[in-house]
Amino acid sequence: MARILVVDDSVTLRHMVAHVLRKDGHEIVEAACAEDALTQLPDFVPELVLTDMYMPGLDGICLAEHLRAMPGYRSIPILVLSTDSSPDVKQRGRGSGVTGWISKPFDPVMLQGIVQKVLH
Amino acid sequence: MTTAELNATAAKTARFDTIAGSDEVVGRIGNLVRTLRESVKALGLDQAVEKAAEVIPDARGRLSYIATMTEEAAERTLNAVDRAQPLQDEMERRSKGLADEWERLFQSPVDEAEVQALALDTRAFLADVPEKAQATNRELLEIVMAQDFQDLTGQVIKKLMELIIGVEHQLLDLLVDSHYSEEERESIRRRIYEQANMGADAEIRDASLMNGPQIDTTGDDVVSGQDQVDDLLDELGF
Repeated sequence: MARILVVDDSVTLRHMVAHVLRKDGHEIVEAACAEDALTQLPDFVPELVLTDMYMPGLDGICLAEHLRAMPGYRSIPILVLSTDSSPDVKQRGRGSGVTGWISKPFDPVMLQGIVQKVLH
Repeated sequence: MTTAELNATAAKTARFDTIAGSDEVVGRIGNLVRTLRESVKALGLDQAVEKAAEVIPDARGRLSYIATMTEEAAERTLNAVDRAQPLQDEMERRSKGLADEWERLFQSPVDEAEVQALALDTRAFLADVPEKAQATNRELLEIVMAQDFQDLTGQVIKKLMELIIGVEHQLLDLLVDSHYSEEERESIRRRIYEQANMGADAEIRDASLMNGPQIDTTGDDVVSGQDQVDDLLDELGF
Protein backbone atom coordinates (compact mmCIF):
# COMPACT_ATOMS: atom_id res chain seq x y z
CA MET A 1 0.00 0.00 0.00
CA ALA A 2 1.46 3.32 -1.00
CA ARG A 3 0.59 6.99 -1.35
CA ILE A 4 0.31 7.77 -5.05
CA LEU A 5 -0.15 11.12 -6.77
CA VAL A 6 -2.04 10.82 -10.07
CA VAL A 7 -1.70 13.81 -12.41
CA ASP A 8 -3.82 14.03 -15.56
CA ASP A 9 -5.93 16.78 -17.12
CA SER A 10 -8.49 14.19 -18.20
CA VAL A 11 -10.81 13.62 -15.27
CA THR A 12 -11.91 10.30 -16.82
CA LEU A 13 -8.36 8.99 -17.00
CA ARG A 14 -7.61 10.18 -13.47
CA HIS A 15 -10.63 8.37 -12.14
CA MET A 16 -9.79 5.22 -14.10
CA VAL A 17 -6.23 5.12 -12.80
CA ALA A 18 -7.37 5.93 -9.26
CA HIS A 19 -10.04 3.22 -9.40
CA VAL A 20 -7.55 0.58 -10.53
CA LEU A 21 -4.90 1.50 -7.95
CA ARG A 22 -7.33 1.89 -5.05
CA LYS A 23 -8.38 -1.71 -5.65
CA ASP A 24 -4.84 -2.62 -4.60
CA GLY A 25 -5.28 -0.59 -1.44
CA HIS A 26 -3.19 2.42 -2.45
CA GLU A 27 -3.98 5.90 -1.20
CA ILE A 28 -4.58 8.16 -4.19
CA VAL A 29 -4.53 11.92 -4.51
CA GLU A 30 -5.48 13.39 -7.88
CA ALA A 31 -4.21 16.55 -9.56
CA ALA A 32 -5.53 18.10 -12.78
CA CYS A 33 -2.18 19.53 -13.90
CA ALA A 34 1.49 19.71 -12.88
CA GLU A 35 1.04 23.03 -11.09
CA ASP A 36 -1.88 21.60 -9.11
CA ALA A 37 0.28 18.58 -8.23
CA LEU A 38 3.14 20.76 -6.98
CA THR A 39 0.83 22.81 -4.77
CA GLN A 40 -0.50 19.62 -3.14
CA LEU A 41 2.94 18.30 -2.23
CA PRO A 42 3.42 19.92 1.17
CA ASP A 43 0.22 18.26 2.39
CA PHE A 44 0.60 14.97 0.57
CA VAL A 45 4.00 13.30 0.29
CA PRO A 46 3.68 10.63 -2.39
CA GLU A 47 5.75 7.48 -2.67
CA LEU A 48 5.01 7.37 -6.40
CA VAL A 49 3.94 9.93 -8.99
CA LEU A 50 1.98 8.80 -12.02
CA THR A 51 1.58 11.63 -14.53
CA ASP A 52 0.11 12.29 -17.94
CA MET A 53 2.58 13.63 -20.51
CA TYR A 54 0.66 16.45 -22.22
CA MET A 55 -1.29 18.76 -19.98
CA PRO A 56 -2.06 22.47 -19.89
CA GLY A 57 0.93 24.30 -18.45
CA LEU A 58 3.89 22.11 -17.50
CA ASP A 59 4.05 18.72 -19.20
CA GLY A 60 4.78 15.45 -17.40
CA ILE A 61 8.53 15.65 -18.04
CA CYS A 62 8.73 19.21 -16.72
CA LEU A 63 6.88 18.02 -13.62
CA ALA A 64 9.51 15.29 -13.21
CA GLU A 65 12.28 17.91 -13.52
CA HIS A 66 10.63 20.06 -10.85
CA LEU A 67 10.21 17.09 -8.54
CA ARG A 68 13.78 15.88 -8.99
CA ALA A 69 15.02 19.34 -8.00
CA MET A 70 13.10 19.16 -4.71
CA PRO A 71 14.56 17.59 -1.59
CA GLY A 72 12.87 14.28 -0.85
CA TYR A 73 11.83 13.66 -4.45
CA ARG A 74 15.16 12.67 -5.99
CA SER A 75 14.53 8.96 -5.81
CA ILE A 76 10.78 8.38 -5.75
CA PRO A 77 9.46 6.61 -8.86
CA ILE A 78 7.85 8.85 -11.48
CA LEU A 79 5.84 7.12 -14.17
CA VAL A 80 4.52 8.84 -17.30
CA LEU A 81 1.24 7.67 -18.81
CA SER A 82 0.93 8.83 -22.41
CA THR A 83 -0.26 8.13 -25.93
CA ASP A 84 3.08 9.49 -27.11
CA SER A 85 5.77 6.86 -26.75
CA SER A 86 8.18 8.16 -29.38
CA PRO A 87 11.87 7.48 -28.68
CA ASP A 88 12.66 11.21 -28.60
CA VAL A 89 10.16 12.01 -25.91
CA LYS A 90 11.15 8.93 -23.90
CA GLN A 91 14.78 9.99 -24.14
CA ARG A 92 13.82 13.44 -22.89
CA GLY A 93 11.93 11.77 -20.06
CA ARG A 94 14.90 9.62 -19.07
CA GLY A 95 17.12 12.68 -19.03
CA SER A 96 14.69 14.42 -16.70
CA GLY A 97 14.44 11.60 -14.19
CA VAL A 98 11.34 9.76 -15.37
CA THR A 99 11.41 6.19 -14.05
CA GLY A 100 9.13 4.54 -16.61
CA TRP A 101 6.70 4.97 -19.45
CA ILE A 102 3.21 3.46 -19.71
CA SER A 103 1.30 3.64 -22.98
CA LYS A 104 -2.33 4.67 -23.22
CA PRO A 105 -4.71 2.95 -23.39
CA PHE A 106 -3.40 1.06 -20.40
CA ASP A 107 -4.16 -2.43 -19.19
CA PRO A 108 -5.27 -2.35 -15.52
CA VAL A 109 -3.42 -5.53 -14.55
CA MET A 110 -0.25 -4.27 -16.23
CA LEU A 111 -0.57 -0.91 -14.45
CA GLN A 112 -0.98 -2.63 -11.08
CA GLY A 113 2.04 -4.82 -11.87
CA ILE A 114 4.27 -1.90 -12.85
CA VAL A 115 3.27 0.09 -9.79
CA GLN A 116 4.07 -2.87 -7.55
CA LYS A 117 7.40 -3.32 -9.31
CA VAL A 118 8.60 0.28 -9.00
CA LEU A 119 7.49 0.52 -5.39
CA HIS A 120 9.65 -2.41 -4.34
CA MET B 1 -12.49 43.36 -88.35
CA THR B 2 -8.83 42.51 -88.82
CA THR B 3 -7.21 39.42 -87.37
CA ALA B 4 -5.37 41.58 -84.87
CA GLU B 5 -8.64 43.20 -83.80
CA LEU B 6 -10.33 39.81 -83.55
CA ASN B 7 -7.48 38.50 -81.38
CA ALA B 8 -7.62 41.58 -79.15
CA THR B 9 -11.42 41.15 -78.73
CA ALA B 10 -10.98 37.46 -77.95
CA ALA B 11 -8.30 38.24 -75.39
CA LYS B 12 -10.56 40.85 -73.72
CA THR B 13 -13.47 38.40 -73.68
CA ALA B 14 -11.25 35.70 -72.21
CA ARG B 15 -10.00 38.08 -69.53
CA PHE B 16 -13.58 39.14 -68.77
CA ASP B 17 -14.62 35.50 -68.51
CA THR B 18 -11.74 34.79 -66.18
CA ILE B 19 -12.63 37.77 -63.99
CA ALA B 20 -16.30 36.75 -63.97
CA GLY B 21 -15.23 33.17 -63.22
CA SER B 22 -12.96 34.23 -60.38
CA ASP B 23 -15.78 36.39 -58.94
CA GLU B 24 -17.96 33.33 -58.89
CA VAL B 25 -15.21 31.27 -57.29
CA VAL B 26 -14.62 33.97 -54.69
CA GLY B 27 -18.36 34.15 -54.07
CA ARG B 28 -18.53 30.45 -53.52
CA ILE B 29 -15.49 30.52 -51.25
CA GLY B 30 -17.12 33.31 -49.26
CA ASN B 31 -20.26 31.28 -48.82
CA LEU B 32 -18.16 28.29 -47.87
CA VAL B 33 -16.37 30.30 -45.19
CA ARG B 34 -19.72 31.55 -43.90
CA THR B 35 -21.06 27.98 -43.78
CA LEU B 36 -17.94 26.83 -41.99
CA ARG B 37 -18.25 29.64 -39.46
CA GLU B 38 -21.88 28.83 -38.78
CA SER B 39 -21.00 25.13 -38.39
CA VAL B 40 -18.22 25.90 -35.95
CA LYS B 41 -20.57 28.18 -34.02
CA ALA B 42 -23.28 25.52 -33.99
CA LEU B 43 -20.78 23.15 -32.44
CA GLY B 44 -20.05 25.73 -29.77
CA LEU B 45 -16.44 25.82 -30.81
CA ASP B 46 -16.19 29.28 -32.31
CA GLN B 47 -13.95 30.42 -29.50
CA ALA B 48 -11.46 27.64 -30.02
CA VAL B 49 -9.51 29.48 -32.65
CA GLU B 50 -6.24 27.67 -33.15
CA LYS B 51 -3.83 27.01 -35.90
CA ALA B 52 -4.34 23.93 -38.02
CA ALA B 53 -1.56 21.39 -37.79
CA GLU B 54 -2.98 18.58 -39.80
CA VAL B 55 -3.92 17.86 -43.39
CA ILE B 56 -7.37 17.22 -44.82
CA PRO B 57 -7.03 13.52 -45.79
CA ASP B 58 -6.25 12.81 -42.15
CA ALA B 59 -9.73 13.93 -41.09
CA ARG B 60 -11.61 10.91 -42.39
CA GLY B 61 -9.32 8.52 -40.55
CA ARG B 62 -9.64 10.52 -37.34
CA LEU B 63 -13.42 10.64 -37.54
CA SER B 64 -13.48 6.95 -38.26
CA TYR B 65 -11.24 6.36 -35.22
CA ILE B 66 -13.66 8.31 -33.00
CA ALA B 67 -16.62 6.35 -34.35
CA THR B 68 -14.82 3.04 -33.75
CA MET B 69 -13.63 3.95 -30.26
CA THR B 70 -17.02 5.18 -29.08
CA GLU B 71 -18.76 2.16 -30.60
CA GLU B 72 -16.31 -0.23 -28.93
CA ALA B 73 -16.70 1.56 -25.59
CA ALA B 74 -20.47 1.32 -25.80
CA GLU B 75 -20.26 -2.36 -26.69
CA ARG B 76 -17.78 -3.15 -23.92
CA THR B 77 -19.97 -1.34 -21.38
CA LEU B 78 -23.21 -2.98 -22.47
CA ASN B 79 -21.63 -6.43 -22.66
CA ALA B 80 -20.23 -6.04 -19.15
CA VAL B 81 -23.64 -5.02 -17.87
CA ASP B 82 -25.19 -8.00 -19.67
CA ARG B 83 -22.74 -10.32 -17.92
CA ALA B 84 -23.06 -8.70 -14.48
CA GLN B 85 -26.83 -8.40 -14.46
CA PRO B 86 -27.62 -12.16 -14.24
CA LEU B 87 -25.10 -12.55 -11.40
CA GLN B 88 -26.85 -9.83 -9.43
CA ASP B 89 -30.29 -11.17 -10.32
CA GLU B 90 -29.35 -14.65 -9.13
CA MET B 91 -27.95 -13.37 -5.82
CA GLU B 92 -31.06 -11.28 -5.30
CA ARG B 93 -33.37 -14.23 -6.10
CA ARG B 94 -31.51 -16.70 -3.88
CA SER B 95 -31.09 -14.35 -0.91
CA LYS B 96 -34.75 -13.35 -1.10
CA GLY B 97 -35.79 -17.06 -1.22
CA LEU B 98 -33.64 -17.92 1.78
CA ALA B 99 -34.87 -14.92 3.76
CA ASP B 100 -38.48 -15.89 3.04
CA GLU B 101 -37.81 -19.48 4.15
CA TRP B 102 -36.15 -18.36 7.39
CA GLU B 103 -39.04 -16.00 8.06
CA ARG B 104 -41.54 -18.85 7.54
CA LEU B 105 -39.62 -21.15 9.90
CA PHE B 106 -39.46 -18.53 12.63
CA GLN B 107 -43.22 -17.99 12.41
CA SER B 108 -44.28 -21.63 12.47
CA PRO B 109 -43.42 -24.72 14.55
CA VAL B 110 -39.91 -25.73 13.66
CA ASP B 111 -39.15 -29.02 11.99
CA GLU B 112 -35.55 -29.94 12.65
CA ALA B 113 -34.93 -31.55 9.27
CA GLU B 114 -36.37 -28.50 7.54
CA VAL B 115 -34.10 -26.18 9.52
CA GLN B 116 -31.10 -28.30 8.67
CA ALA B 117 -31.95 -28.25 4.95
CA LEU B 118 -32.38 -24.50 5.03
CA ALA B 119 -29.11 -24.06 6.92
CA LEU B 120 -27.34 -26.10 4.27
CA ASP B 121 -28.89 -23.99 1.48
CA THR B 122 -27.87 -20.83 3.27
CA ARG B 123 -24.34 -22.10 3.76
CA ALA B 124 -24.05 -22.96 0.05
CA PHE B 125 -25.37 -19.53 -0.89
CA LEU B 126 -22.92 -17.71 1.38
CA ALA B 127 -20.05 -19.76 -0.02
CA ASP B 128 -21.09 -18.71 -3.50
CA VAL B 129 -21.41 -14.98 -2.78
CA PRO B 130 -17.68 -14.03 -2.85
CA GLU B 131 -17.23 -15.62 -6.27
CA LYS B 132 -20.29 -13.84 -7.66
CA ALA B 133 -19.15 -10.55 -6.11
CA GLN B 134 -15.70 -10.93 -7.67
CA ALA B 135 -17.24 -11.66 -11.06
CA THR B 136 -19.43 -8.58 -10.72
CA ASN B 137 -16.40 -6.50 -9.74
CA ARG B 138 -14.56 -7.69 -12.83
CA GLU B 139 -17.43 -6.45 -14.97
CA LEU B 140 -17.50 -3.14 -13.13
CA LEU B 141 -13.78 -2.74 -13.81
CA GLU B 142 -14.43 -3.52 -17.47
CA ILE B 143 -16.99 -0.70 -17.51
CA VAL B 144 -14.47 1.65 -15.95
CA MET B 145 -11.76 0.68 -18.44
CA ALA B 146 -14.14 1.10 -21.38
CA GLN B 147 -14.20 4.82 -20.59
CA ASP B 148 -10.64 5.28 -21.89
CA PHE B 149 -12.20 6.28 -25.21
CA GLN B 150 -13.02 9.67 -23.70
CA ASP B 151 -9.38 10.67 -23.27
CA LEU B 152 -8.24 9.23 -26.59
CA THR B 153 -11.09 10.54 -28.73
CA GLY B 154 -10.84 13.89 -26.96
CA GLN B 155 -7.32 14.27 -28.30
CA VAL B 156 -8.46 13.33 -31.79
CA ILE B 157 -11.40 15.75 -31.69
CA LYS B 158 -8.95 18.46 -30.69
CA LYS B 159 -6.85 17.70 -33.75
CA LEU B 160 -9.93 17.78 -35.95
CA MET B 161 -10.85 21.20 -34.63
CA GLU B 162 -7.36 22.41 -35.49
CA LEU B 163 -7.97 21.10 -38.98
CA ILE B 164 -11.34 22.84 -39.36
CA ILE B 165 -10.01 26.12 -38.02
CA GLY B 166 -6.98 25.83 -40.30
CA VAL B 167 -9.20 25.41 -43.35
CA GLU B 168 -11.23 28.40 -42.24
CA HIS B 169 -8.09 30.52 -41.96
CA GLN B 170 -6.88 29.51 -45.37
CA LEU B 171 -10.22 30.37 -46.93
CA LEU B 172 -10.29 33.68 -45.11
CA ASP B 173 -6.81 34.45 -46.40
CA LEU B 174 -7.98 33.71 -49.91
CA LEU B 175 -10.98 35.95 -49.43
CA VAL B 176 -8.86 38.82 -48.14
CA ASP B 177 -6.41 38.41 -51.04
CA SER B 178 -9.26 38.51 -53.54
CA HIS B 179 -11.10 41.57 -52.21
CA TYR B 180 -8.48 43.94 -50.87
CA SER B 181 -5.47 45.75 -52.23
CA GLU B 182 -2.03 44.71 -51.08
CA GLU B 183 -1.86 47.71 -48.72
CA GLU B 184 -5.18 46.89 -47.13
CA ARG B 185 -4.49 43.15 -46.72
CA GLU B 186 -1.93 43.56 -44.00
CA SER B 187 -4.14 45.65 -41.75
CA ILE B 188 -7.15 43.41 -42.42
CA ARG B 189 -5.15 40.32 -41.48
CA ARG B 190 -3.80 42.01 -38.40
CA ARG B 191 -7.34 43.01 -37.44
CA ILE B 192 -8.56 39.43 -37.76
CA TYR B 193 -5.67 37.28 -36.65
CA GLU B 194 -3.78 39.25 -34.02
CA GLN B 195 -6.89 39.72 -31.92
CA ALA B 196 -7.57 36.04 -32.21
CA ASN B 197 -4.03 35.14 -31.11
CA MET B 198 -3.43 33.41 -34.38
CA GLY B 199 -0.31 35.27 -35.39
CA ALA B 200 2.85 35.88 -33.45
CA ASP B 201 2.22 33.34 -30.73
CA ALA B 202 1.14 30.58 -33.09
CA GLU B 203 4.09 28.46 -32.01
CA ILE B 204 3.17 28.72 -28.35
CA ARG B 205 -0.42 27.84 -29.18
CA ASP B 206 0.83 24.89 -31.21
CA ALA B 207 2.49 23.50 -28.12
CA SER B 208 -0.71 23.92 -26.16
CA LEU B 209 -2.61 21.98 -28.81
CA MET B 210 -1.01 18.83 -27.49
CA ASN B 211 -2.80 19.35 -24.21
CA GLY B 212 -6.19 18.02 -25.13
CA PRO B 213 -9.45 19.83 -25.42
CA GLN B 214 -8.96 23.04 -23.48
CA ILE B 215 -11.34 25.71 -24.70
CA ASP B 216 -10.95 29.04 -23.02
CA THR B 217 -14.43 30.50 -23.01
CA THR B 218 -13.46 33.51 -20.99
CA GLY B 219 -10.75 35.03 -23.21
CA ASP B 220 -11.96 38.43 -24.37
CA ASP B 221 -9.41 38.48 -27.16
CA VAL B 222 -10.68 35.21 -28.59
CA VAL B 223 -14.26 36.41 -28.71
CA SER B 224 -13.18 39.69 -30.21
CA GLY B 225 -11.11 37.91 -32.86
CA GLN B 226 -14.02 35.77 -33.93
CA ASP B 227 -16.28 38.80 -34.10
CA GLN B 228 -13.74 40.29 -36.47
CA VAL B 229 -14.04 37.27 -38.72
CA ASP B 230 -17.82 37.65 -38.75
CA ASP B 231 -17.48 41.38 -39.43
CA LEU B 232 -15.23 40.69 -42.39
CA LEU B 233 -17.68 38.17 -43.87
CA ASP B 234 -20.55 40.65 -43.34
CA GLU B 235 -18.49 43.41 -44.94
CA LEU B 236 -17.94 41.24 -47.99
CA GLY B 237 -21.61 40.37 -48.22
CA PHE B 238 -21.40 36.75 -47.15
